Amino acid sequence: MTETATAAAGQVSDEELLARFPGQPVDHDSAAHYRGRLAHRLLINRCGDCGTWHQPPRPVCPACWSSNVVATEVAGTGTVHLAIFLHQGPPAPGVDYATPHPVVTVDLDEQPGLRFTSTVVDADRERVRVGDRVALEWIDRGGAPLPVFRVVEAAGSAGGESA
Amino acid sequence: MSAARNPMRDRNPLRDRVAFAGAATTGFVPRNSGRSMLSLTAQASIDVLRQCGLTAADVDGVCGSLVPAPTMQSALGIPEVSWFANPAMPFGNQVAAAVSAVHSGLCDVVLAYHTAYRLPWNTMSSLKDPFRRSSGTAGVSPAPESLFGSVGYTAWASRYIHEFGVPKEHFGYVAINDRANAAANPAAAMRTPITMDDYLGARMIRWPLSLLDMDVPVDGADAFVITTAERAADLPLPAVLVDAVALGATAHNEEEQTDSLRHHGQHVTVNALRARSSFWLDDVDVFFPYDGFTIITLNWFENAGWCKPGEAGSFLEQHRDPATGKILIDGRIPVNPHGGALSEGGTQGSGHVREAVHQLQGLAGERQVPDAKRALLTLGGFFFNAQGLTLRRAD
Ligand SMILES: [Zn+2]
Repeated sequence: MTETATAAAGQVSDEELLARFPGQPVDHDSAAHYRGRLAHRLLINRCGDCGTWHQPPRPVCPACWSSNVVATEVAGTGTVHLAIFLHQGPPAPGVDYATPHPVVTVDLDEQPGLRFTSTVVDADRERVRVGDRVALEWIDRGGAPLPVFRVVEAAGSAGGESA
Repeated sequence: MSAARNPMRDRNPLRDRVAFAGAATTGFVPRNSGRSMLSLTAQASIDVLRQCGLTAADVDGVCGSLVPAPTMQSALGIPEVSWFANPAMPFGNQVAAAVSAVHSGLCDVVLAYHTAYRLPWNTMSSLKDPFRRSSGTAGVSPAPESLFGSVGYTAWASRYIHEFGVPKEHFGYVAINDRANAAANPAAAMRTPITMDDYLGARMIRWPLSLLDMDVPVDGADAFVITTAERAADLPLPAVLVDAVALGATAHNEEEQTDSLRHHGQHVTVNALRARSSFWLDDVDVFFPYDGFTIITLNWFENAGWCKPGEAGSFLEQHRDPATGKILIDGRIPVNPHGGALSEGGTQGSGHVREAVHQLQGLAGERQVPDAKRALLTLGGFFFNAQGLTLRRAD
């Protein structure tokens, strides 16, 4: 786990990292997460002492106050907790609001209530619902990798997790 | 982590010791006013000070939102202040800070204010005004996959519909009540009553919420004088006593990480306010739930205890006049009689506080609630911004 973060971190300088993610909240506490994106790894902070995950990235563990937090790869599978469609919004490369843009907040499987927000690929409004099971994919957004989700099992179908 | 119980939570030494001596507004317009934020703020501030019979030299505390307190002091020529602050919005925070400062003796007379201003990211027309681009916080354009700000309420509305299976009409009752009430409020930006058909047919902005679910970007300002109960009693307008104040937030106060619809800032606020206040729902004469988004109002009805989770829409259906669309709880208690933020615009709650003060002073004109003695205000949203206030008329 630590190797993942370290390997990704070694690839680009802080200056290069900022240049790859213009306008994004890249700082000391989130840099490891963004370096993970460049390596197509979704890294979420986890406490090296008590094992609790947290999001967004903080410099200490909110559960035990340990500073030993490690950006750690998650599977990227989970259940849709919140789901909306933007009919308008800020300009972003490849986003055309003429087709309402889905935004979902996903409960990641690693820990109840640990959530990550992104869009859903290949999905119209009829195909994205609270309770859907999703998996992680990567797309290009303005030259940088963006973690996104794909619906792999519709809410209410056999084996689907109820919210 | 489990919720800690604070045994001192019902400690409320400031009750009845601090008062609103007056409130004034410029009114709100849903277009660029062609004026600066400071110009609007100064107008409302001068109005309220004159109405209270005060001069600049009487003010020794300044507490506002976007316009820096030192800028206001300079603009109004306030000779000396011994306390000033610019807490984060919404306006319950300005009230909490000013009331605390007066009660603790850091100052005696606070000028408090909030200015609603159409910032560049609110509207396309605001974006075209070069002077606005430089005002407020830096124009960070969040990626569309962020729940920050307005988007967060839309996202939790999707959850509310999923969990409770309620129809969109339940949200509509909030919007229709506001507009019905705003018809009698000359300060409101939007005063035309709307029907359920209007509501359901409104342009979709972020599914599941539409244009009529969200407040309007406006220009305008509200200002207040907050002072000791003794001093307020000597001023020309009736004093409105601060009964209790509470702010509330949970550890997971980011929009996307918030625990659930059953545990967020509103629940903390209500628990704290109920413990500190001298009255609750049975003795409320007028109710001011925040309504920057309709989902916030439905949640406030449930969390304040008027009804159970998921039942706000059914409750409103039972307590509304289908002919006018106005809500009157138990046939007696109006809800946002000024039309709320959905009609006045995004006032961050200052409009709700101003109307509550005017109602309790008997100065609400044709909107006056007969013999209004006590008001309950539940301001702000779910996350880092839930706030509550109980006010009562001085007898
Ligand atoms: Zn820990």
